[in-house]
Order: sequence, then C-alpha cells, then structure tokens
Amino acid sequence: MAEARPTDPVDLVAAMAADESGAPLKEFYTLYASTVLALLMKMLGSRAEAEEILQDVFVELWRRAPQYDSSRGGVIAWVVTVARSRALDALRARSRRHGNDQLQFFSERHGIRTDGGRPDVLVSSTRWHQALRQAFQRLSEDQRSVLELSYFLGMSHGQIAETLNLPVGTVKSRILAGMRELRTMLPIIHRSMVA
Amino acid sequence: MSDEKERAELLAALHAAGAASDEDETELRALLEADPSLEKIVKDFQDSIAALASSFDPLETPPKTFAQIQKKIARERGGFFSRLRSWFSKP
Repeated sequence: MAEARPTDPVDLVAAMAADESGAPLKEFYTLYASTVLALLMKMLGSRAEAEEILQDVFVELWRRAPQYDSSRGGVIAWVVTVARSRALDALRARSRRHGNDQLQFFSERHGIRTDGGRPDVLVSSTRWHQALRQAFQRLSEDQRSVLELSYFLGMSHGQIAETLNLPVGTVKSRILAGMRELRTMLPIIHRSMVA
Repeated sequence: MSDEKERAELLAALHAAGAASDEDETELRALLEADPSLEKIVKDFQDSIAALASSFDPLETPPKTFAQIQKKIARERGGFFSRLRSWFSKP
C-alpha cells in the first residue's frame, strides 16, 4: 500500500486561503509551529512572549494566505519572514518600555541554548536541522555576527557598522559573503525537502 | 558577472538579511523592474536565510495554542480583515 504523501506546502497555503473550515490551517500549524516557536525563542529569549507571538504569527499567516506568491520565495521563507517581523516588533516594543538597546538584547540572547538546554520542551530534531546546522558552521565568526545582528535584531548595515566599529563597506562585504555561503546550502535544503 | 548583476546581488543579500536601508530597497526594486530575471537572486537568498532561521531545534507548542489561534480568527471573520482577505482571494 502506498504511503500517504505529505501535502505540498504551496498547495497547503492555497487550501488555507480558500477554506474556512480550519482543516488546512491545522495541518499548516502542525507543519510549522514548532519551527516558528524555536525562531521566536531565539529572537526573544522569553518562552511566554514567544508563545503569545506564535498565535499572532499564525493569525497573520492565515490572513495573508491569499496573497502568498510562490514565485517570490518558498513557503518556509514566507513563514519565517512573518515570524521575524512580529518578533522584531516585540523587541522594539520591549526596548521602548525598558529603554534597553538592541545590543543588550543581543548579548542576553547569546546565552540562549537551542540544542539541548531545555530537553523537556524539545521535539525531535530532524536530520534536516542537523544538516543545516553543520552547513552553517561553514560561516566565519565575522559573517555569523553580522547576520545575527541584521536578521535576528533587525539592524541596518549602518547600525551594525556603528555597533561593531567597522566601516559600512566591510559590513556589507561580510553580509554578502555570508549570504553567498548560505546559498551554497540550497542543494542540501532541496534534497531535504524531497526526501 | 555584470556590474548591474553584482550590484543587484549585494542589494539582494542586504534585503534578505534584513540589513538594507530604504535607499537600498528602492534601488533593488528599480533593478528588479528593469530586469525581472534578477528575482532569482533574491529568491535564493531569501530561501537561504529562511533555512538559517528554521535551523533551530523545534520546540513543542502548548496544547491550547491552536485553539487560541482559532478563537482569534473567529473574531476576525466578518470583520475588516475577512473582507480584505476575500478581496485578495478573487481571481
């Protein structure tokens, strides 16, 4: 007997946009919620806040489903873009409330353990996650730090240059080099998706 | 690689990494309008950074979260966002 094939994520988003019953949304949530929660935890460092924002992220994904355009990026890229955006909003709101600067948050979050620090809440790490992490080891420390500051803290290249006391051109070069390195992982990603 | 393509690659990298300034974004949009084939560079970078963002060990979600999401969506149905969503659904 043939095994049931998982729904294609693009089809799932289309179904979510067209269907009001909630079944596609449930499948979509099952597929991505654990990954989104992990990203929110990485960015926010607070489980309670991450869980609250997780709800907002999925409501927004449901709301935006009719506008999703697969020619502009994969479903996972769309999902993490929305999640990142909501997390950055929360960080900015927190910064306004407490007067903390972004670098302070960055330093705090460097202490977050995502690889076994909270075994009670981890679901099984797949070969896909392990392969990705191994691939990311190819990034140099310089490349990782500029990508952390830009992607996870929402800093512009100018802000990063100021923070790290580097010329703007150096920051841009490191971001480009890091992104090129990440791009070399695409074959790994695609293989994982079809496996 | 042409100068234009190199410039587009840099701007696409900054865009995907979330480090682009408003001026960078404007310049990138103009380059993409002039040469839609450059979209592939942007898409590849976005998929790459998405892989980075989704590489953390997944965390188990609380059992009640999905029900709470459904409640929020139910509140929105019939409201402004529902009408907006229906509008975007039209072919």
